[in-house]
Amino acid sequence: MTLHLRHQMDLSLSRQGTIGRRDFLRGITAASIAAGTLSWRDLVALKAGELRKQGMACILLWMQGGPSPFETFSPKPGHANGGETKAIPTSVSGIEISENFPRVAKSIEHAAIIRSMTSKEGSHPRASYLLHTGYLPTASVKFPSFGSIVAQQISHADLELPAFVRIGGGGREGSGGGILGVEYDPFIMPVAGKVPTNATPTTEVPRYNRRLDLLSRLEADYAASGAKEEVSEHQKLYRKASRMILSSQMQAFDLDHEPAAIREGYGSGQFGLSCLLARRLVETGITCVEVVLNGWDTHADNFNKVREMAGQVDQPFAYLLWDLKQRGLLDTTLVVWMGEFGRTPKINPRAGRDHYPKAFNIVLAGGGIRGGRVIGKTDEGGTEVTDRPVTVSDLFQTFCRSLKIDPKAENIAPNGRPIKIVDGGKPVNELFA
Amino acid sequence: MSCRFLVLAAALVLLAQRGTASGLDPHSVAMHVDEQLSKELFGGADGSAHDIATRADDQTFLRRLSLDLTGHTPTPDEVTVFALDGSPDKRSTAVERLLANTQFGENWARYWRDVILYRRSEDRALLVGPTVVSTLSAAFNGDAHWDKIARRFITATGDVREEGATAIIMAQMGNTEDTTAEMSRIFLGIQIQCAQCHNHPTDRWKREQFHQLAAFFPRIAVRPVKQGEERSFAVISMDRERGKPNQVVKGGGHLEHHMPDLNHPDEEGKLMRPVFFVTGQKLDVGMPDRERREKLAEWMTGKGNHWFAKAFVNRMWSELVGHGFYEPVDDLGPDRKCSAPHTLDYLAEQFATSHYDIKWLFRVITATDAYQRQSRSRYEEGEAPFAASCPQRLRGDQLFNSLIEVLGIDEYAQQPNRDNFRAILAGPRGRMNATFGYDPSGRRDEVAGSIPQALFLMNGPELNRALSGRQSNTSLGKLLAEVSDDQAVVEELYLRCLAREPKETELQTCLDHLHTTRQRAEAFEDIMWSLINSTEFLNRK
Repeated sequence: MTLHLRHQMDLSLSRQGTIGRRDFLRGITAASIAAGTLSWRDLVALKAGELRKQGMACILLWMQGGPSPFETFSPKPGHANGGETKAIPTSVSGIEISENFPRVAKSIEHAAIIRSMTSKEGSHPRASYLLHTGYLPTASVKFPSFGSIVAQQISHADLELPAFVRIGGGGREGSGGGILGVEYDPFIMPVAGKVPTNATPTTEVPRYNRRLDLLSRLEADYAASGAKEEVSEHQKLYRKASRMILSSQMQAFDLDHEPAAIREGYGSGQFGLSCLLARRLVETGITCVEVVLNGWDTHADNFNKVREMAGQVDQPFAYLLWDLKQRGLLDTTLVVWMGEFGRTPKINPRAGRDHYPKAFNIVLAGGGIRGGRVIGKTDEGGTEVTDRPVTVSDLFQTFCRSLKIDPKAENIAPNGRPIKIVDGGKPVNELFA
Repeated sequence: MSCRFLVLAAALVLLAQRGTASGLDPHSVAMHVDEQLSKELFGGADGSAHDIATRADDQTFLRRLSLDLTGHTPTPDEVTVFALDGSPDKRSTAVERLLANTQFGENWARYWRDVILYRRSEDRALLVGPTVVSTLSAAFNGDAHWDKIARRFITATGDVREEGATAIIMAQMGNTEDTTAEMSRIFLGIQIQCAQCHNHPTDRWKREQFHQLAAFFPRIAVRPVKQGEERSFAVISMDRERGKPNQVVKGGGHLEHHMPDLNHPDEEGKLMRPVFFVTGQKLDVGMPDRERREKLAEWMTGKGNHWFAKAFVNRMWSELVGHGFYEPVDDLGPDRKCSAPHTLDYLAEQFATSHYDIKWLFRVITATDAYQRQSRSRYEEGEAPFAASCPQRLRGDQLFNSLIEVLGIDEYAQQPNRDNFRAILAGPRGRMNATFGYDPSGRRDEVAGSIPQALFLMNGPELNRALSGRQSNTSLGKLLAEVSDDQAVVEELYLRCLAREPKETELQTCLDHLHTTRQRAEAFEDIMWSLINSTEFLNRK
């Protein structure tokens, strides 16, 4: 059976080029699987996704500002640096996280915590750039964000929506397509919950296409008069935008299609809506969604502010993991919770914490990551990594392993310099064991 | 055509009314700048080793100049008059005409609003947006000297709705370190805040010098004020220990600045004396806020500090020629690479001699060959800069101006409330800026089009209604009713949208489209839609 199926699959792939795996998946209900009524074609589609590395997707929950490890996933109760924050038990015995994440605590069997992240960049723009691209900013090369790389490396050719969507504003350093070009820039949804504005053609489709055709003919002269690159980028953008708005996949943006119970599960906050949209987009075939939540830069009044921020994140984050799991998407969707750095162990006179890249924490789930475990340690005061330091390159290698992307693949910068997807580092392999 | 000849006559009268400039004659300075550039970059006067672009034609030049100086595209009448003008100095005449237009001040005021507010720490700072535009418009249109403007910003106090010069402080909500960093970045082009946390081996400014500069600003504070129902903020001097702590939003609270001890961040740190790092001029601790900031303003804009002139010249050169001597435009300094240091030194010195006369600098730069060359796509690494002009993507305001003129829309008919900043942000111009705006200090080659921009221009419902050729009240509807000759309509649309006449091939493409579409109004809607959606419309070449 297996061999036969593989043969069919190859035939099918060579005929059609690519197959929209998730479109098929959406049509497959749990009941049809249980009843054994899945057609071979459905199975082909399922399997094809894996074979072509196209089954994978990534959701990045970007915590702009640099969340404090002490008040998130690495509490230090009993030490002066830990402040007033208490630790609570989780669904996995032996793992404790801060009291600010009671719901995530109950889902920790799906998620792994890295408590030994370490870097040297303590300024917001540079560190955001580093954690988005894996590289430090330089004047000569504009490095692409990892979301753009994911879009470039593993997106479906038949996906009509942009392969990389960013929900929310702010913290845009290093979040663009860089040397990969505007094609791989994120499509920015400032707010989740509404269909993108201006996404309906104002004329009938045939006339709309005639207009696009007229436009490209009229552009030829301008291109020849010293603006070849500008015209070419412009045309690419217009093709991408047109393909998108004429697509039936646009429905993914409309949260009204979602059952009330699910909507409630994500909560009514803006971050919850963004997480729900992220799930819908991944389900439709988008390869990378970044959800931005700004406000973690707690130089003053750290404890109250982090509690408030965590309050926005806790329920949607936990529900997102559950929702992906019950849809069978968690194994193929890497979920990353992180910001650009941590906060100083010592509490400053304004009850705040300042920037601290030396030791911070992030959370990974799905995409082959085995949950319910903690990687690395810091000392008692949270000032130094004492076990299993993980660098930004190590982290990006880990992303690549999860998403089945070759980290050694190269893109060529305009100045001719080859740029590896990840430079150096080793994946944190124990996360997958 | 006859009405255009009348405009021509008016323009010729203007020829006689050349403004008088302070400083050296702009044209001889411009000539010297070009010679210097040739020596530094093109290997001698003939530049034969380099592929130097030729002079841009009249239509390209006028559109470029109009967008650069006033933020508007030239009208068809202006294009025609300029083409028919046979006088040899018609380009400098156009410069004078546009510098005298109040749109000049408004355009550059909006530019500087973006420079300041794209780096805001909080969105509440947008409140100062309309005020800084009106303050700077008046300054640029009046007796515009950059040192006077800088002094006003450095020493500003008052309600942010009344004094636009509070914008830099408001944008950082009075935070001492951030205000310090922005004053240095904007007026000196020096990113001294890099040294805020630690010394960098590649930079000569040390951590202590950043905090000494910050010691000029510890006493500024931003306080909420309420007049009736309206909430606002005021920049104030806090020369006494704070009385009611809750009244002060940010900043204040300390009368002196302390440099934190990195090993003991919870301690007060080292008391800093105000010292200006460029010249070493210093004050004693204990001085009142006003005196600190007035002294700093004097020293920053004084003769001993050449970075002040360089930063402005570099930025304006970059905006006009398409590429700065230093890139990015706000990162200068002895440890940064300057593509033509002697040229920049010369031009900056002359600018200082002119008493930082802004219009004088515009006269000089626009008179250079470097400015007047044809455009090419941004130069590649290894090629000499300034061998050609670079296409620049229009800023949100420039694009908005172009659109409403092309479509014949009255901005203020759509924007009844001109004073309320929220209404302005939510209005058509504000939305345009939110979609198409970009931080003018960023590298220009990184400014790329986005899908939301494409969607706005392709499908924006208001825009498409205004494009209608079947309504009698739209600009296209009127044109079609008045002119029956299709070729004349095509030519007029090109003039309106792109400030030039169509080429033979373009004309033919449009006439073919008319022929196949059969519906005259519909075909012209398509043509106008295409022109508005073209790369050319979105860029100044």
